[in-house]
Amino acid sequence: MKSKINLWKTGGFAVVMIWALVWLVPVIIMLTVSFMPPDQRAAKFGGLLIKNISLENYLTVFKDAPILRYFLNSIIITFPTVFFVVLFSSLAAFAFSRLNFFFKEVWFYLILLTLMLPIPTLIIPIFQINKSLGLYNSYLGLILPYTALGIPFSIIILRSFFEGFPRDIEDAARIDGCNAFGIYWRIIMPVSWPVLSVVIIWQFMTSWNEFLLALVIIKDVQLKPLTLVPLIYSGQFMARPGAMFAVLTLITIPIVIVYVLMQRYFVSGMTSGALKG
Amino acid sequence: MQNSLNIRLKYSFNNNTIRDFFINNQGFLFILPSLILFFVFVLYPIYYILQSSLLDWSGVGTQTFVGFKNYIEIFTQDRAFRLAMRNCLYWTFLTIFPQMFIGFILAYALNTNLPGRNVFRAVFYMPAIISPVVIGIVWTRIYNPFNGLLSDLGFATGLEFLTKPYLSDPKIAIFSVIAVNVWQWTGWSMLMYLAGLQGIPDELMGAASLDGANLFQRIRYIVWPMLNHVHKTLILLGVIGTLQTFTLIFSMTKGGPNHATEMLPFYIFKQGFELQSMGYASALSVILLVLALTLSLFQVLVLGSRFSLYD
Repeated sequence: MKSKINLWKTGGFAVVMIWALVWLVPVIIMLTVSFMPPDQRAAKFGGLLIKNISLENYLTVFKDAPILRYFLNSIIITFPTVFFVVLFSSLAAFAFSRLNFFFKEVWFYLILLTLMLPIPTLIIPIFQINKSLGLYNSYLGLILPYTALGIPFSIIILRSFFEGFPRDIEDAARIDGCNAFGIYWRIIMPVSWPVLSVVIIWQFMTSWNEFLLALVIIKDVQLKPLTLVPLIYSGQFMARPGAMFAVLTLITIPIVIVYVLMQRYFVSGMTSGALKG
Repeated sequence: MQNSLNIRLKYSFNNNTIRDFFINNQGFLFILPSLILFFVFVLYPIYYILQSSLLDWSGVGTQTFVGFKNYIEIFTQDRAFRLAMRNCLYWTFLTIFPQMFIGFILAYALNTNLPGRNVFRAVFYMPAIISPVVIGIVWTRIYNPFNGLLSDLGFATGLEFLTKPYLSDPKIAIFSVIAVNVWQWTGWSMLMYLAGLQGIPDELMGAASLDGANLFQRIRYIVWPMLNHVHKTLILLGVIGTLQTFTLIFSMTKGGPNHATEMLPFYIFKQGFELQSMGYASALSVILLVLALTLSLFQVLVLGSRFSLYD
């Protein structure tokens, strides 16, 4: 009996292992082609097996492309977005959960409506609005729409978390004279770290990789974030797949690092909410 | 509502109703920033596309009111639109359900004491965090019929179906792109199912196996039904995600060959920003909006789907 179970387990493990390796093939190709020596035109098996390794592609990229500049652009756009989303959505989620005001339900379902709208529906009006507000081709022109579109999802997650919070501490604070904002700032927020990290990571990943709005709103090359970089150099590096793939690898590294560091919090944040009650 | 001192304090200052109104509705200030952003970037845009879909306008020049002409043209003469709708249908069914199926299997396998499960979890979810532009370019190379991975494999092993021109054959192009999407987002379904599986108590499974249920029966009669909220959320998010598909199409096929991989979001972009027909693009946006709202509202109100596992 025991050996039968062990056979299942080892077999299962082997299957998952093979599956994971196959799953990673595209990522592996991205790496191997980027390490291909530039004089080699085509690699066998689309890049899976290569003969020599060379860093020359990366040198070319660093020489010809200001990757750091684009990286900074992405940061300038993403960090404020995450900050504002966390701030505004936590305030709103707290209010929806704990306070009462006119048309509370109406506002809530209206904001929820945003989740049902495909973003491509809005690119034309947002483009025109940004132009009218003078935000076209500027960082704010992306930060504000990203924030607006990211808030509803955060509100939902945060509000559910706040709902499950015991009210005793809060009532005690109220009796001691704490006002609504005080409760928000001193009591609810400090303890909400698990959920906040889910919001932060989710919003970060969504905004960092966002492509369509960035394509439409940003015109000047020096303002473009990392996601648009392959587009900028597709002509220049068309005959040099090695260099192109070096660019791709470089723009993937930051978010993979963030993900690897944060995945523990992300998954535990997601699963902690799923345990109902 | 929990049993606690649920004091609903209503202050009154000298019975001054205006002042009372402001004091009792402080909560409104908390949602004001979100509400303002919502009005500017969501609500007003909806009004905007409704109004500009009735115009013949290139985005910069004069605007001429043409009534429903754009809509009529879309529904009667636009072949690309019809292909986009067909592709939407394919995309919905062929991305959501495979992702759910494979994601569930992975989640079930990773929910055990498999060694290195955290690594596996990261590996399967990783495609979802890589920029879709990067993914599009890499997969275009994999699909390349001249020296791509699949064609090289095909020539080496003699399996002819691997050497097809995946992205330039109008009959299979859309399915090729769909396959990439499945690769990209299955990890997300896996994570959602993992979260859902954590909510199933082990005693339930133990009791079932004591009663004589084998693995498949346990999954089919206990696990799968208990994950209903996850199924519904994945379908809801999947439908909306389908209707937002832009980047993959942009970086792999640009809607070609000959509109075979056309999707509404990309078509809107092309009409509005490349072909300079903002009025027409607005009409397309309205149609996409109505489609998305109808499908989402149906799922939320009738089926009880939720946007997250937390609700």
